[in-house]
Amino acid sequence: MAILDELMRLPGAMAAFEFRGSGELLEHRIAYPDRINPATLDLLAHMCSANMSIAAMQARGWEQVTAMSGFYPVQEFTLIGFDWSVVVSALRREQHKRVGQSNLPPFTGVVLANESADYEAAFALLEHPEPAA
Amino acid sequence: MSILTDLLTQPGVVAAGEYAYRGDRFSYRGALSEEHARMASIMCRATTMGANMEGAMFNSIHPGNGLHPPRGWLVRGPVHTVCVMANVFCLLDHTQGSVSHIVGLMRQNLGDVPHELI
Repeated sequence: MAILDELMRLPGAMAAFEFRGSGELLEHRIAYPDRINPATLDLLAHMCSANMSIAAMQARGWEQVTAMSGFYPVQEFTLIGFDWSVVVSALRREQHKRVGQSNLPPFTGVVLANESADYEAAFALLEHPEPAA
Repeated sequence: MSILTDLLTQPGVVAAGEYAYRGDRFSYRGALSEEHARMASIMCRATTMGANMEGAMFNSIHPGNGLHPPRGWLVRGPVHTVCVMANVFCLLDHTQGSVSHIVGLMRQNLGDVPHELI
């Protein structure tokens, strides 16, 4: 998957992965197999899937209660850990929903080392996933 | 200058607040009503507690990973990003400001908050 290879070029990228809405790991790339393995990514994918669903529920409710906009649909959820961060995106799924497609693409995520993480760069790549020609 | 006051001077910040981990108090500044700030505090606290539970479980299965203990989380919509670090939340219009800058500022001020408080 080109997007995973692009994500692995981000500063501090440790792993990139795709997973189903239900959390199962699909494709992945791992830069440090001694620190991250597919089982780690699979559990992380389930965590991120759950958090993305909760965030979507809260964003939808928040907009209805406050009449504020710009929170929904949730595009990315990021967990900032002690040394690593994980950024996951639902944007490609939302784009498919918008045009009425029922077969949704997977979530896409990247694990970054905090000391060199550039969140804006990760968002930009996840929101424009087509690799440069 | 408090972290809330500092955050409010940053480009794009709509509001910032702080909640007690016990859930019995909150304070905020910015363009939110008292009731909406209370709701934001409850949602942010609940998600923070959930993230910490998940991080602890994750660490028990895959010890030594770099995610535990969690420092914070972000939820990014088309215009707004909710940034949470320790017990402080910040609502940012990310079309007017930088998420990386806000996270850096929050980590600088809140990165050493003891995890045991949760």
